[in-house]
Amino acid sequence: MRWSALMVAVQSGDERAYDRLLREILPLLRGIALARLRDAAEAEDAIQDALLTLHRVRATYDPARPFTPWMAAIAERRALDRGRSRGRRAAREVKVEAAEHIPSPAAPEAERGLARAELRAAIGALPVSQQTALKLAKIEELSLMEASARSGLSVGALKVATHRAMRNLRKRLGALDATSCRPRS
Amino acid sequence: MQTEELIAQLSSGLTPVRRLPGPWILAVRWLVVAIAVIALATAAFGLRRDLAARLADSSDLRQMIAAGLAGVLAAISALQLSFPDRSANWGLLPIPATGFWVGDLGWGCLRDLIESGFDRMNLETSVPCLAFILGFGLPLSLAMALLVRRAAPVRSLPVALLGGLAAASLTNVGMMMMHPVDAAATVLAWHGLGVLITVGGSALLGPRVMGSP
Repeated sequence: MRWSALMVAVQSGDERAYDRLLREILPLLRGIALARLRDAAEAEDAIQDALLTLHRVRATYDPARPFTPWMAAIAERRALDRGRSRGRRAAREVKVEAAEHIPSPAAPEAERGLARAELRAAIGALPVSQQTALKLAKIEELSLMEASARSGLSVGALKVATHRAMRNLRKRLGALDATSCRPRS
Repeated sequence: MQTEELIAQLSSGLTPVRRLPGPWILAVRWLVVAIAVIALATAAFGLRRDLAARLADSSDLRQMIAAGLAGVLAAISALQLSFPDRSANWGLLPIPATGFWVGDLGWGCLRDLIESGFDRMNLETSVPCLAFILGFGLPLSLAMALLVRRAAPVRSLPVALLGGLAAASLTNVGMMMMHPVDAAATVLAWHGLGVLITVGGSALLGPRVMGSP
């Protein structure tokens, strides 16, 4: 009942109500995701997908109906999608037992760690839509259709966001290259 | 990105949204569009001259009622399923009427083939027939796509399939009212093909439409 009232406030644009509502429903979303997905990281991604979908379809909530089934249906679907796409990824992966014998890249561990931290910071500085597009299209290597269904962004918007994210990253990391005191090869 | 950060980003700069009308109201709106399309097409092409005689034939009347019922029920079903918290059982609603309609169409086609043979398989009269079916089905499919585009991408494929079925069924009703060609096997086969193309096209494009913000 209280969540329903908060959601009504959300539909009229109340930011504080939204922040409160999303934080309050987070344990329930987590419970639904963990019931479907054993892997905690996958479950967390499913929760984020559910939050993005919930945000996109907030106009479909009808205050005359209970809030929890509406939210749970979205969370269930996103967890199922996440599980299916993980299954497809697992089917494509090939276990290479000799992987441990592959020589490590030439760069020293410390330098690679620094580059990773820089990349992470650069991704973190991107707008949320670009982060989402990058994560789904480039890191998880989902098809545009899958990424669109997962994020609630259109295929066109995803393409634009991915392109902008890559351009921003290049710009940011290129700028770091130019200004960094650390020499690069 | 951490989930808490995502929450903070989503809630900052939140814009108000206009609540979507319920599925029943959306279904009524779609039916108004469908009736308007049929009325416009009737005004443009006119009713078939032998409509009264054909309606007196119980098999044509039966098929028209079944197609109309399948269309209305499929539209209600698609729009109910486009809301995340509605029961998945809504998807079953148009199945009996659709089964009866498609079965009757298939049986009529088979009977006509047996009676007339393959000689009546005339492509020249059938291609305009298909174009007519698709030209009719397109505005109905587009109207459905517009109504469900803001819906949740939760059951995109069933919604698209049912939306396509609704458009195809009512197109069939319009065709039966206007199309000048007898219900020969060819025409019935093209009706079936038109239905398949409309439903298949909706299933293919529908999820993309529903994915748009």
